[in-house]
Amino acid sequence: MPLRRSTRPRAAAVVVAAAALFLAACTSGGTSPDQESGEPVAGGTLTYASGDAEPSCLDPHVGGNYPQALVATQYLESLVSLSDDGEVVPWLATEWSESDDGMAWELRLRDDVTFTDGTPFDAEAVAANIAHVQDPATASSTGYLALAKVQDVVAVEDHLVRLELSEPDSALLESLSQVWVAMESPKALERSQEENCAAPVGTGPFVVDEWDRQESVTLVRNEDYVSPPGDVEVPDGGALPYLDTIVWRFIPDSASRYAALQSGEVQVIDNAQPDTIVSAEEDPALEELDAPRPGAANRIELNAGKAPFDDERVREAFIRSVDVEAGIESLFFGTAERSYSPLSSVEPLGLSEPDLFSVDTDAAARLLDEAGWTERDAEGYRTKDGERLTLDFPVSTNQSIPAEQSLFEQIQADARTAGFEVRLHPLDLSSWYETLAQNDYDLVSAPYTKVGPDVLRILYHSASIEPAPSGYFANLAQVDDPELDDLLARAASTSRDDERASLYEQAQRIILEGYHILPLYDQQNHFLHSSSVRGLRAMPTVSTPTFAEAWLAS
Amino acid sequence: MPGARRWLLLRAGGVVFVLWAAATVTFFALRLIPGDPAEAILGGPGSQAGPEALEQVRREYGLDRPLVVQYLAYLGRLLAGDLGQSYSLREPVASAIGEQLGATLTLAVSALVLAWALACALAAWSVRGGRVAWAVGSGLELVAAAVPHFWLATVLILFFSTTLGVLPPVSVPGPLGVVLPALTLAVPLAGFLGQVMRESLLSAMESPFVTTARARGESEVRIFWRHTLRHAAIPAVGLSGWAFGSLISGAVVVEAVFARQGLGRSLLSAVQLRDVTLVTGIVLVVALAYTLMTLLTDVADRLVDPRTRTVPR
Repeated sequence: MPLRRSTRPRAAAVVVAAAALFLAACTSGGTSPDQESGEPVAGGTLTYASGDAEPSCLDPHVGGNYPQALVATQYLESLVSLSDDGEVVPWLATEWSESDDGMAWELRLRDDVTFTDGTPFDAEAVAANIAHVQDPATASSTGYLALAKVQDVVAVEDHLVRLELSEPDSALLESLSQVWVAMESPKALERSQEENCAAPVGTGPFVVDEWDRQESVTLVRNEDYVSPPGDVEVPDGGALPYLDTIVWRFIPDSASRYAALQSGEVQVIDNAQPDTIVSAEEDPALEELDAPRPGAANRIELNAGKAPFDDERVREAFIRSVDVEAGIESLFFGTAERSYSPLSSVEPLGLSEPDLFSVDTDAAARLLDEAGWTERDAEGYRTKDGERLTLDFPVSTNQSIPAEQSLFEQIQADARTAGFEVRLHPLDLSSWYETLAQNDYDLVSAPYTKVGPDVLRILYHSASIEPAPSGYFANLAQVDDPELDDLLARAASTSRDDERASLYEQAQRIILEGYHILPLYDQQNHFLHSSSVRGLRAMPTVSTPTFAEAWLAS
Repeated sequence: MPGARRWLLLRAGGVVFVLWAAATVTFFALRLIPGDPAEAILGGPGSQAGPEALEQVRREYGLDRPLVVQYLAYLGRLLAGDLGQSYSLREPVASAIGEQLGATLTLAVSALVLAWALACALAAWSVRGGRVAWAVGSGLELVAAAVPHFWLATVLILFFSTTLGVLPPVSVPGPLGVVLPALTLAVPLAGFLGQVMRESLLSAMESPFVTTARARGESEVRIFWRHTLRHAAIPAVGLSGWAFGSLISGAVVVEAVFARQGLGRSLLSAVQLRDVTLVTGIVLVVALAYTLMTLLTDVADRLVDPRTRTVPR
């Protein structure tokens, strides 16, 4: 089974033996020979079935979620991209430089690219796009955050643009690589939001042709495509893309989605569940693409903002008393690898500390005694001053797949033995956010996708405890540590790579050693496809699959 | 007949009342459950929308006004025939419903026809087959009526698509795509219709006109189709309004499982996104269809069966 980015080096210090073995196993499996053999065939229609909700707007500037990123990757392109080993590579921008004080970046742009409506791509177009993302009327959320430090955009020359910042931003290029701030035709952006949402215009390998709501989005080949990212080898004659048409469908039910793949109704599905991945391994007609998302690993956050987790001993006791590994093993059938890091394994700067998470029920009991939770009530739960050791755990049924929800139940059972009463509250997305906004939780698991380690600042800087007007706040562990704040702020503004790496390592150590989080696994992102689909890869940026080089073998 | 006119007027008033109640309950229910419609507009729950964006959206959609004012403004627009603008789809609710209505109606009508066919076929078989067939038929009906849609859908997909490979597991253009979804909706409904028919089938079979027919030497098959089934079907026909309502609610599940276009699927995502105008719009359309259907069956009942006319309504 081909594993994306199997060559991407993780920081040497963090590669634990298990991970190394896993990595080796995957690389040796490698790409199957028939995947490589044969010349690409041009033409054909591919049907993709997404398990995510149908976006309400196909322009990822508006709002900005993962389902939008998945489809927009096929028709929009960014200023820069990442290579498989995490290096920033040229895309619509060919080269860039940072000013000495870090307050401005100049990007040289390609001068041979036009949007699919005929508008030329130039410095003015970049300015119009950044203005569009920053305009409150656009209601951008993800892109808006990514460009938070961009204060002004100057078209220095036709194809040279300068971004002036409010403060140095070491994550700027990583942010710009995300499809949520991809480049759209300025002429198209002048249309009403309704029109632009229905058919955004970019420079990508495909063009939005038609959107039949709740049925499909039809994407057709961009006949004049010239601009794949810098790490893509353009074949002779500039034949990219190979496919004529992509039909993008939405099949929310995971069993139907898999049945549609098996019957050949569709050729690629996303959100493949552990049981179907295992079943697909048996099927020679199917292949898997495993593309963990960047940013944060999936983890359970312990709310240090209130009792009982304001006491580090209670946090450690909880973490020491639950056997996550056994649960992952039995519920994910080997499709997910245990994480010991705040960051995704695709982040080169991730720090892993497995020793902190070994199960030790004796230590847990001792820690709870020390913290004053000495008594046990009739049901066996620990108490202090007559109050039971209760933990509220709101679970988003939209975000947590069934296997993950079962894992939480196993954690609940483990914690019960140690004397914790974990109360699981399955909630729909809106109610779940409301519960978090009201601080009615002790445990929570919330995914967060962003390119680069700067996600740590969003998730663990004390400024992120301050809720946005919507009530949303990202620091759900409610870590409030001046030393950590200082490390994260310095890491975000330094222009020296080695210093940045060292600052992020120290920051992760504080988060892990303070027992603020219980890492579970990478944010799972499994795709299954028919083996007739060749040349499919996931973007090294936000791990969305791209069909720019994909073709259908007969 | 002034009585009939008065009855019709009363019933029409009832329809208006039901529509108003449906709109009102939906409006307030959606505003009282957790979740902020402004966020729905800004890319879904938990959006990291900035303060300016939220403020702008609240102003634009009138969400900053008191709830009662919003409600009255909403009713006013409804009276003018304007269902409003969907937050999540960025298009008028009327056109959003228009795009999806056809698919749901096709599904509901196919399922209704299929359900009747299944129910009659089972009844015919179990009437002819003696005591054992009768027991088996009644058992099958009981099971069918109790089967949940999502389970049945999965079983049908596994059997017809994955194992036999004869029908597509998800909706495709053309009549082939509607078979499994319609069957999923039809089976439980057929079970229910069958149960209702069975009661009157039993009494009809023992009634004098059947004995007479037998005495005339008519075959059992002919007796069933010409006499007993007709008699037995009357109460089940009367349930068509209800059946239609149950089909729409079943469509919420079935459309999602088979990835079909339709109002049920729109409703599901609209509720999840707290898209108040779209939810109320769909609820209104469904309520209208439901009440009209009930009204029509009542009218038909009065025309067909003179006995019902003497009962004051």
